[in-house]
Amino acid sequence: MKLTITQLTRNRQGQTVPSELALQADPLRIGRGADCKLHLPDPRVSLHHATMGLNDDGTCFIEAVAGNVKIDGSFERSMRLRTGQKIRVGPFEIIVLPTPPSVDLALSVELVDPLKAELSDIRANLKTGLTGTWLSKRNLSWIAGSAIAFIFLLWPVMNALNTHDREANAKLNIPPDASWNPGPLASAHHSFGRDCAQCHATPFVQTKNEQCESCHKSIGWHFVLENKAARSLHESVFMKSAEASRCAACHRDHKGPLGLIRQDSPLCTQCHADLKTRHPETTSPNIADFSRDHPAFKLSMLVPGKTGQDAVVRIAQDSGTAETSNLKFPHDIHLTKKGIRGPASKVTMSCKNCHVPDENGIRFKPTTMKEHCQDCHSLEFEPKASKRQVPHGNVDDVMATLKEFYAQAALADTPIDVVVQDGVRRPGERLSSAKRESALKWATQKAEKTGSELMEDRVCFACHEIRRVKGSNEGSDEKTPSWKIAPIAITQHWLPKARFPHNKHNTKDCGSCHQVAASKLSSDIAIPDIKNCRECHGGNTVAVDKAPGTCETCHGFHVGGSRSGTPVPLPGVLPYDTKDPKGLKPKAPLKVAHLHEQAKPVPQP
Amino acid sequence: MQWQRQQDDRSNCMRMRKARSAESAEIGQKRQSIRHRTFLEYRHYRYLKLAVALSLVAIFVYAWFSFPVGRYGGTMVGYALGTVGALLIVWLMWLGMQKRRYRSNTNGLQGWVSAHIYLGASLIVVATLHTGFHIGWNVHTLAYVLMLTVIFSGFFGVYVYMRLPSLMTENMGEDTLDSVMLKIADADRDIRRVAMAMPDAVSRAAEDSIQYTVIGGGVLAQFRGNPKKCPTRLATKFLEDVGKTLNGEDQQRNHELYSLMLRKKKLVARARADIRFKAALNLWLYFHVPLSFALLAALSAHIISVFFYW
Repeated sequence: MKLTITQLTRNRQGQTVPSELALQADPLRIGRGADCKLHLPDPRVSLHHATMGLNDDGTCFIEAVAGNVKIDGSFERSMRLRTGQKIRVGPFEIIVLPTPPSVDLALSVELVDPLKAELSDIRANLKTGLTGTWLSKRNLSWIAGSAIAFIFLLWPVMNALNTHDREANAKLNIPPDASWNPGPLASAHHSFGRDCAQCHATPFVQTKNEQCESCHKSIGWHFVLENKAARSLHESVFMKSAEASRCAACHRDHKGPLGLIRQDSPLCTQCHADLKTRHPETTSPNIADFSRDHPAFKLSMLVPGKTGQDAVVRIAQDSGTAETSNLKFPHDIHLTKKGIRGPASKVTMSCKNCHVPDENGIRFKPTTMKEHCQDCHSLEFEPKASKRQVPHGNVDDVMATLKEFYAQAALADTPIDVVVQDGVRRPGERLSSAKRESALKWATQKAEKTGSELMEDRVCFACHEIRRVKGSNEGSDEKTPSWKIAPIAITQHWLPKARFPHNKHNTKDCGSCHQVAASKLSSDIAIPDIKNCRECHGGNTVAVDKAPGTCETCHGFHVGGSRSGTPVPLPGVLPYDTKDPKGLKPKAPLKVAHLHEQAKPVPQP
Repeated sequence: MQWQRQQDDRSNCMRMRKARSAESAEIGQKRQSIRHRTFLEYRHYRYLKLAVALSLVAIFVYAWFSFPVGRYGGTMVGYALGTVGALLIVWLMWLGMQKRRYRSNTNGLQGWVSAHIYLGASLIVVATLHTGFHIGWNVHTLAYVLMLTVIFSGFFGVYVYMRLPSLMTENMGEDTLDSVMLKIADADRDIRRVAMAMPDAVSRAAEDSIQYTVIGGGVLAQFRGNPKKCPTRLATKFLEDVGKTLNGEDQQRNHELYSLMLRKKKLVARARADIRFKAALNLWLYFHVPLSFALLAALSAHIISVFFYW
């Protein structure tokens, strides 16, 4: 079998350069192997890839041996060759050319799919660093940065600026600006819900006093601004700058209980430790520490019979003062363990029989005749005949009651045993005017006699200081006897400038602080002194074995505040207008119910 | 004879390699010590001293001043520490840009890196004191936590920069990745030449090794290194097995091919190790940089929110 093989190669310009080769082989082995006449040097070609041969009829055939042969696009095992057929053997294309007369077969061979690259191509396709991969610092930075900026900045800002959405969003469990909350609100402020604008009204502007005062309406300043000196002191200490008069300068929410109400001693001692140098006109002492230099307590005691500014006197507890309540009350007799005669039988009394805690448990309800005394100390005046009692409080009322009672007895149709006068009256008999006059005279005399007994011997004198006077009663003449009862002044709040919650001290017996078991006189003052407090309370620095004793433990800062221990505005003094500090314009009196009420003097009988 | 010559060649080759690796290790140490000095010991620990001083001042100021409401970011000291911290963060991030500009002045760059590391570390003290140890589920703590993540990813970067270069020089010796790739290409050429005359199965295995051995690639491939189905590894195994069944000239040729394949396998392993080291050397930056930008966003949100709701 004779062949001509035209090998087509390409030069640098890409033009085809043919080179012809004449061969004789039967059969023609095609492959990579050295023994193949049609030698196709490429690793993709098998050692002996295919064979070409001559049929008996002079036509040629091709047969695949160890490799695939693709003829005109389809894989064939063997096939008769025809002119123009394109045969793929690996990367080579063999075309069957028209056969010249002298040979059996003419072929052209061309390497159409050269091996890719030696190294430079492979190198270019390799990623040998992270730079070419999907990881991108720039993309990751954009994604992370913009996600955080949107969620934590843009969204809350948009929410805050849109009033309508903000109010709706505040009802969500996690509103947009939840992530801005630096710490939980104080419990009282929870009613704002999640609407930050309740306090943070204007962006980039500090919270204003108006926001606080919209609820805390009755909060006063540190001074009772009743005179010019107090006002000028107020100006110089608290009105120096906007910051000094800002509520939030001291009261910081989101910072726990210590943030909302300052309990540090420096708040007070920065002025009070050296008050006399700072303000020479002051009457207050220098106090730096409760445990060291706090003076004896000053008691606020009611003065009997006085009103207004004179109703209360302030006396140092260590000055040996006695109370002048004008009431006779020996604690020892009432509290004796043997018991005391009661309305029905013997009773053993304790403190709480008379001293009933108020609703807050902080102090006590006033002790009253009706509720606490009258069960035993009955005001019956004719116990043999009637259960009736004279009214408590006013001598005139007592006498009027007595006169009415006896006149009724003397003049009424129904006689009573006690009425003994000129002869027995028959039923239905009308009294003559002379008899009526006589009966009335009797009744008046009887009333004066019984009144005298009540006041001076039997009932009233047991508790009251009573003086007999002449004719001061209403509508009476000079000869009619009358009595003056000394005005009662029971001090309810001895230490109004301090705060003492009894309910927080109820693990102690009353008697461990108030030593009244042996007290015989009502003039004994049973308020415990500072030594008593210091047994348990330390000073500014935290003591290991003592409860805190900072200024704030007992005293408040604001006049009339709920923690107040500061002076109560006295009756008739108008407090300062917080919104108009310069104008000194008076506004409605402060509501300082509990302090004010209990410092109020008892009305004159 | 030929076998003997090959043995000699191989032992020579081993000797040379040993010598070369010893030499390269020495050079590696030198390099490492140079690098040490450049960014950690820069100018006798100038920035370490500065960072320690800054931290001490911050601690002193924090401890000295007390506030009625307690110590937190909103006090005067809190504002001061916060301002210092925020400025430091912005300045340290600016270094990222600076680093790209500083091409010519390596000394300057080393200074910047040194300052970046030490002052970045001092941020832990400054920012922690700024928080006053108040932690919560909010943007303020988010910024703090992001800052810590950035700093600690940076510490990991420092560790990696200290540790890996010596391992890399140990691996590569005097070679570079390019020179190893060239050697692989050379090996491929020889393999192809020898395999041409080998049986089809052998030739195919060799050709698979040449064509389909992947070096580098995607992120995972770069870290994974030597896959089990690596064509070069398979070819080596195959040649080893086939060698036992051959004899005569084929066996000799197979042996030649086998040693070429073994050489290539080692080269490929070195190239892959180098790529893995490089990837590890850079991977922390893919956390450090995006987290830094996340921090910048959170820091802005923190500062703006605090004054928005003042």
